[in-house]
Amino acid sequence: MSTKVSWLKGVFPALVTPFRGGTEDPASLIDEKAYRRLIRHALPNVDGIVTSGTTGEFPYLTREEQRRLVEIGIEEAGGKPVVAGCGASSTKEALALARDAQDSGASAALIVTPYFLHPSDKGVYQHFYDIATAVDLPIILYNIPQVMDRYLPRTVVEDLADVPNVVGLKDSSGNLTYTMELLEYVGDRIDLMVGHDEVVLPALAGGVSGMILASAQVYPEVWQTIIRLVEAGKVEEARATQRRVQKLSRIFCRHGGGVAVKAALKMMDLDMGPPRKPLKNVGGALLHETRAEIRLELEKLGKAPITATAFEYPVGPLSERFGDLEITPELIEEHRLSVGSGEAGESLNKVGVDLIAGGKETPLGDAYALQMTYPLHRREALTTILEPALTVRPATLLLPTLPQKNLRQANMVYGPAQSGLARAIVDAVEAERIPAETINDSVMVALVTIHPSALDRNKIAKSVQAAAAKAIEQAFC
Amino acid sequence: MGYKTDWFKGIFPALVTPFTPDDDVDEKAFRRLLQFVLPHVDGVVPCGTTGEFSYMGLEERKKVIAICLDEVKDEVPVLAGTGCTTTRDTVALTAWAKEAGVSGALVVAPYFLKPSFNEVYDHFGALDQIGLPIVMYNIPQCAGTHFKWWTAEGGLLDFENTIGIKDSSGDLPFMGALFEKVKGKVSIFVGHDEVVQAALGAGADGAILASANLIPDIWQRVYRATQEGDLATAQEWQQRVQRLVRIVVRCGANQACKEGLRMMGVDVGDSRHPIVPGGAFRREDREELRLQLESLGKIDRAPVTYDLGTKQVLTDVFATPHTPRTIDGWTMKVGEGFAGPPFQELAHVDLLIGLKEGPVGRAIDRSLAGWGEERNLRVIKEQPRTLLVPTVTIRTAMQRRLMEEAAAGVGLAIDLSIEDGFLPEAILDDIALIVNAFVHPAASIARRVAFNNYKATRHAIRKALEGRPRVEELIAEKASARHPFRYAP
Repeated sequence: MSTKVSWLKGVFPALVTPFRGGTEDPASLIDEKAYRRLIRHALPNVDGIVTSGTTGEFPYLTREEQRRLVEIGIEEAGGKPVVAGCGASSTKEALALARDAQDSGASAALIVTPYFLHPSDKGVYQHFYDIATAVDLPIILYNIPQVMDRYLPRTVVEDLADVPNVVGLKDSSGNLTYTMELLEYVGDRIDLMVGHDEVVLPALAGGVSGMILASAQVYPEVWQTIIRLVEAGKVEEARATQRRVQKLSRIFCRHGGGVAVKAALKMMDLDMGPPRKPLKNVGGALLHETRAEIRLELEKLGKAPITATAFEYPVGPLSERFGDLEITPELIEEHRLSVGSGEAGESLNKVGVDLIAGGKETPLGDAYALQMTYPLHRREALTTILEPALTVRPATLLLPTLPQKNLRQANMVYGPAQSGLARAIVDAVEAERIPAETINDSVMVALVTIHPSALDRNKIAKSVQAAAAKAIEQAFC
Repeated sequence: MGYKTDWFKGIFPALVTPFTPDDDVDEKAFRRLLQFVLPHVDGVVPCGTTGEFSYMGLEERKKVIAICLDEVKDEVPVLAGTGCTTTRDTVALTAWAKEAGVSGALVVAPYFLKPSFNEVYDHFGALDQIGLPIVMYNIPQCAGTHFKWWTAEGGLLDFENTIGIKDSSGDLPFMGALFEKVKGKVSIFVGHDEVVQAALGAGADGAILASANLIPDIWQRVYRATQEGDLATAQEWQQRVQRLVRIVVRCGANQACKEGLRMMGVDVGDSRHPIVPGGAFRREDREELRLQLESLGKIDRAPVTYDLGTKQVLTDVFATPHTPRTIDGWTMKVGEGFAGPPFQELAHVDLLIGLKEGPVGRAIDRSLAGWGEERNLRVIKEQPRTLLVPTVTIRTAMQRRLMEEAAAGVGLAIDLSIEDGFLPEAILDDIALIVNAFVHPAASIARRVAFNNYKATRHAIRKALEGRPRVEELIAEKASARHPFRYAP
């Protein structure tokens, strides 16, 4: 019969592994100094640490490197438990890692379901049993079907829970039906640790003892707060707290893993270097767009400095606002161009749309074509589309009035503003506010002003649609 | 014990069901479709998956089967799709079909709720009582259940009236088990258009195919060549239609076949909702399907007049019902094209075509003189004068190299548009193009960048010239359009 250990509860970060360059490969060596910094950064708000887990890129580490991470962990952890990730595809290798962990003085070994080849349930049981009975070290089982392509079967866990030094299980599946089934069958014998950042609160409410998380090195104090709130029965506050980190947790879990965590840490001035190949710093599992989103979320949590931007919505007579297009009030008059303006939304979601429409033969036609050659750096014009391959008519350019300083700002224009503007135009065509006979022979340009700190795509889309509808109304009626 | 009939072999199209704009079964269009395919097929299947059987009530299905029987007049066998999700409805419809005079019934595995294998077996056992030849139908992509070989073997060999199986899974190991267990005793049909030749070559008796609505003659060639032992010819034709059928199969088949037929002059309407145009069968798929049908000689050319104001040029192009017979308004035309996957290598092209003397030509001259070098603008062709504009600032050598790939793709699209008549030689000195090409900063697969930019540009040229998307399409899709960057990650 296994016995629980008293320390396996609370918040454990699954630490990234920092790398630095050697002779040619920028990730050839472990950056020990950075690792120490990372642990010192997290330590005040955690109950223990986990080295060379999935977030720590364990399959890319040598046995010696994993041993070294444990040693540094113990030196830095100030007596808090150090759990050594000892994952491997073969039993032989996992056992060697567990022996190393024991020799180094780790508190427990975290051992993942054997992967790549697909052993039977019997083989999986034997894997854990062989390791547990060969070492004198607490063993934590590890279920992570997202990367292993299989669940650790509940029936196997049931039997493993009877092995004396099996003390816990980390469940990273995020599948609460699985978690609840384990709590039902083995909750009295071993401790369950949730390993999926998106479902921490429901898992805690369901009865898990704690968590091993990638995000626990980014915002460990948030998770500690949630534990306190759950213990105090303050469910509403706990929900609000989880919700505050939901998006960033989702990004870490589903849109980049350890690479995304490294990107976040770098923004917090903790440079952990690149991941090892074949992972890419950015542009692989972690998209540039997602990285921009991480910064935004860190700003909201107060973990990254907010770069305040001074700006103002366009002011002055409408006919004078199209100077970027080289369209003067005189040209508007002479060529009978239509102009209209609209505003909608509140505070950060307030947007302004200044619209100009006219024949392709007028100077507006020239302005349209010229913008397509990109004269305005960081204010590149976009063809307005409902979705890719659904260009609106009359053909309309969307021109942001403010420079797009980063991908996130650009993203507010590409998706939300573009589709909001497109819907307003097609609405107007359907309602015949834009005369049908002009659709083929005219073009429009919409100057769109969005707050540089805007962050709610849904509201921006709706604001742009409403503001554009007003602008069209004014221009055509 | 099931048996093998002498009629269940060869090529059977899984017929689309034409609907009127009011959403009724379009009898006239259906009869026309039958006349279109009949010369090339060994049998027909009304109310199959491609026929949207699951979107029709029992009475409608009876109507479709009855029209089919009437039009075919014993010329070829009619294998009617009679599968429903309950045994009760399946038995009722199958019994009706027997009375109506069909040759056999194609019965899909009961779907949605997922009965166990012995419940599926009993379902076919109940059908056996009717006394109509039954073909079991495995299509796990839609039904959610994949016959195990032992279910298929039991159903095929234990029941008197099962004459065969249609396997649409594309799972060749499964088909291998069927050959091992039941070959020669019942007919084995392949239902996955991408592996037809492989299955026939390995011993399948025939094929029931969505794409046989479009290219029944080609499938007949593949079948005959295989029967005659000419595998090289069969392989060659499978390869020639591979891209076309991949497009058809991967996006639900029904709307793809319907749009393809419309391009070929056989208007059968659109699929029933929730299948929508521009949905699973995407806009870029539509353009590619058209190009594939053209290359197989399935779309006719028609004369089109290009009225440039100063001169008129007569060209001829592969025309669909939406190709205008006169194209004017050459001041400036706007087109857009989008092609992927993969995500990082997708291409998004914004295109302007217009007179050299107009806004497009003037913008090219001015931009080259002004910021051409700084922004990596480049004239990649003089006939027609074409300016390539990278929409993402080029910072790295990799980006520069991939922009070369994109340029090659754009150039190829223009060359082929000259060749196919959309950009006739006689106007090349009069017009100019601005092509904005997006290459994601994280792109790496060179071949995909080139090919996607070729596709996006070729589509954009046609859309600009033909005035697509049409206003009616925009209005119809205004609410359902889903901009991929509209939502937070």
